[in-house]
Amino acid sequence: MKRRITEYLDLDTATLEWACNRCGQSLGPAAKNYKEGCLIADRDPREIWQPFIEASFNFAYNPGWARLVEFYCPGCGTMLEVEMLPPGHPITHDIELDLESLQRDAGEPGSGES
Amino acid sequence: MATNAHSSPEIPEHFRVTPIEISPSTMVQWLKPEPISPIEQRGMDSLTPGDYEIYDEKLKNILDESREIFVRSGVTNLLTAGDLIVAVYTANGDLANASAGTYLHCVTGCLPVKYVMSQYFPDPTVGVHEGDIFYTNEARYGGIHNPDQMAFMPVFHDGELIAWTAALAHQPETGAVEPGGMPILARSRNDEGMKLTPIKVGENYRIKRDLLDMMVNFIHRSPRMQEIDTRARVTGADRVRVRMQELARAQGNDFVRGLLRKLVVEAEASARQRIARWNDGIYRAVAFSDTIGREPALVRGYLTASKKGDTIRMDFTGTSPENDSSYNAYPHIAAAHAAIYIFAYPFHDLPASNGTLAPFDWEVPEGTVLNAAPDAAISNSPPLCCIVMTPATIAMAKMMFDSPDRDKVGAPNGNMGSEIVFAGTSQYGIAFADLDGCTLNTEGQGARPDMDGAHAYGFPWCHAGRAPDAEFYESEYPFLRLFYRLKEDSGGFGMWQGGHGTETALAPRHVPTMFWSAIGKSSNISVGVGLFGGYPSSASPGVWVTNTNLWDKMTRGDDDVPTDAVSVARDRTVDGEYLMEHLTRLTRVGQNGDIIVQLAAGGGGYGDVLERAPALVLSDLRQKKISEWTARNIYQVRYDPETLVLDHDATRAARDAARQERIKQGMPWDAFIAEWSTKKPDADALKYFGHWPDGASEQTLVRI
Repeated sequence: MKRRITEYLDLDTATLEWACNRCGQSLGPAAKNYKEGCLIADRDPREIWQPFIEASFNFAYNPGWARLVEFYCPGCGTMLEVEMLPPGHPITHDIELDLESLQRDAGEPGSGES
Repeated sequence: MATNAHSSPEIPEHFRVTPIEISPSTMVQWLKPEPISPIEQRGMDSLTPGDYEIYDEKLKNILDESREIFVRSGVTNLLTAGDLIVAVYTANGDLANASAGTYLHCVTGCLPVKYVMSQYFPDPTVGVHEGDIFYTNEARYGGIHNPDQMAFMPVFHDGELIAWTAALAHQPETGAVEPGGMPILARSRNDEGMKLTPIKVGENYRIKRDLLDMMVNFIHRSPRMQEIDTRARVTGADRVRVRMQELARAQGNDFVRGLLRKLVVEAEASARQRIARWNDGIYRAVAFSDTIGREPALVRGYLTASKKGDTIRMDFTGTSPENDSSYNAYPHIAAAHAAIYIFAYPFHDLPASNGTLAPFDWEVPEGTVLNAAPDAAISNSPPLCCIVMTPATIAMAKMMFDSPDRDKVGAPNGNMGSEIVFAGTSQYGIAFADLDGCTLNTEGQGARPDMDGAHAYGFPWCHAGRAPDAEFYESEYPFLRLFYRLKEDSGGFGMWQGGHGTETALAPRHVPTMFWSAIGKSSNISVGVGLFGGYPSSASPGVWVTNTNLWDKMTRGDDDVPTDAVSVARDRTVDGEYLMEHLTRLTRVGQNGDIIVQLAAGGGGYGDVLERAPALVLSDLRQKKISEWTARNIYQVRYDPETLVLDHDATRAARDAARQERIKQGMPWDAFIAEWSTKKPDADALKYFGHWPDGASEQTLVRI
């Protein structure tokens, strides 16, 4: 059974695999962070917002404090998620589902429900 | 201050409060509803079919009426903007329902009531009697910070205590070391001005003049405002009291007790039922503030929300350590900031009752910025707690998306709390200290799975707050408002775009000088973020221009007087000294003719920018909500620059090329982490972060 966990993330309760909702590309096992199955880019915030002036404070975020970490589907290039993080800050494992209960709710074989 | 709460068997059960070890760290435990007492059960059982539904609505009307009277009785602008609640509680302090205003006080209002019932009700030197009026503004006893003042009153009928009522609103002056009630320079509680423990300020339905004079004496920068608004709070609480007595007279005391308890019980049952249909699991979210007030600094809020069955555990382990600024908080304050979201989105249709919060458990480690020492300065706990608001919104959005409650999902609002605070002597010779509610109440709303966020939707700390009349300020205070408008490109970009925030500029006039300071954030890093690929709002720097020729230009009728923040800073058509700085600015003397620019953030975007309908992009462009640069470079829309007619094929090709470029530039996880983990923020960012990167405390604080 396919469950739509976020705008761009599907989860197959039979195979317990993440997949891109737009193109079906597998993003790895649901027991792991789906971000490990993505292509990732570290972007300077000045690529998204124009600074307009040369000054330590301007109209873009400070690249020494903030980066945009973008997660792309390797199949279709859709941006599945983006985090604004200080440079080098650990990537957030944002969704860690109770897979047993999901399988049980879906009535998957071997889950205790049928 | 730890003391044991009373639970004497002589006290009737429906007046008892669960004993806790009372301290700022533990007050949050009183958010759990009290057990149903036999007399309350009898009251609930006496309700006939339809009673609950009819009188639930009747109670809402009573609360709304009282809120309106409260607003009309007050004078300071956060009160008139609606940053308040009026509320009704069970006899032992559980919040039954409220008219809000700000949901913050739906958490903090019940705690002082429980304190009074726990400590003073059985104490013959204080006691609780018909006609009493209590008052408090102390976070140690359940409040948020001392600008938030609360009047509360017991409701007696036929000699029995049957309920409590309260009215709370923010007062923009507390007699602290700086004007404005939220002193940026405070380093301990001793710098923060008046802090009243729950105290009886009236008897026999009359405010005691001596105690009112005491309060006014504390608030010497704006004594008139304190006196009027204290009376307004009492007026709001008293109107609910009058109506509850009328209800008891018509239906009986058991009916009132039963109705109030049933509101708590039904809210909890409904909340649990809803939570049970969300996927079990662990949801993590992180947010960063970039200020501790007196200096820019990176402060992390880290939330691990564990959802199992019909319960949610909100664990803030990993949050940065407390510091010696006023940007600290206590656990009930953190819970209150999560509740702003919880009451407004997932449970918007349930009573604003602490029954609704009963499924939540709160883990806030001592020593973090969200569970600071009792002597910490906490007057800027609300601006700090944006590091709770954003993670709560993100974690619960991910919890709810795969459920029937997807319609309640949204990206975070701006969550930056932007205000200019000003003080001095007005053009009428009257002392004043107030803040500009115009930017404060006009941040952008986060986008949702099926629509853009609302522009200038409100104040994320008080969704129902409304921006005051901008011209009211010009007539009341000594400045001209140079502009006040939606800020271009400020809504977080995405498939659905965050609502835009606003920008304004004040220019002191009529008087030679005016003290001012400013609160805000998201200058270096954004505390508001997007959802599912949506971007945050744009950055918000502070701009200050002094020694200007502004009045000369306006007198001449020059047509290049700036009308937005970017043109002030970039075009510099006004002569003067320009300073670009963090949005939070320390108290300073503003000169006649200065230009003080303040920005309010937009809401977070939702989804991939390359999925935004091109027609919406062009509509935004026509309305100057976004720039041509953004339309072309972010949304990858191609069009005729003269007619703004869409080129479908070129747009499709540009977007396909952008996706291919992502695939080309993106790195696999292992390669990315190998490179990413070698990076670190600028050293000046990490001074108050705690140990990098886990945020653990690295030093012991001693406050004097």
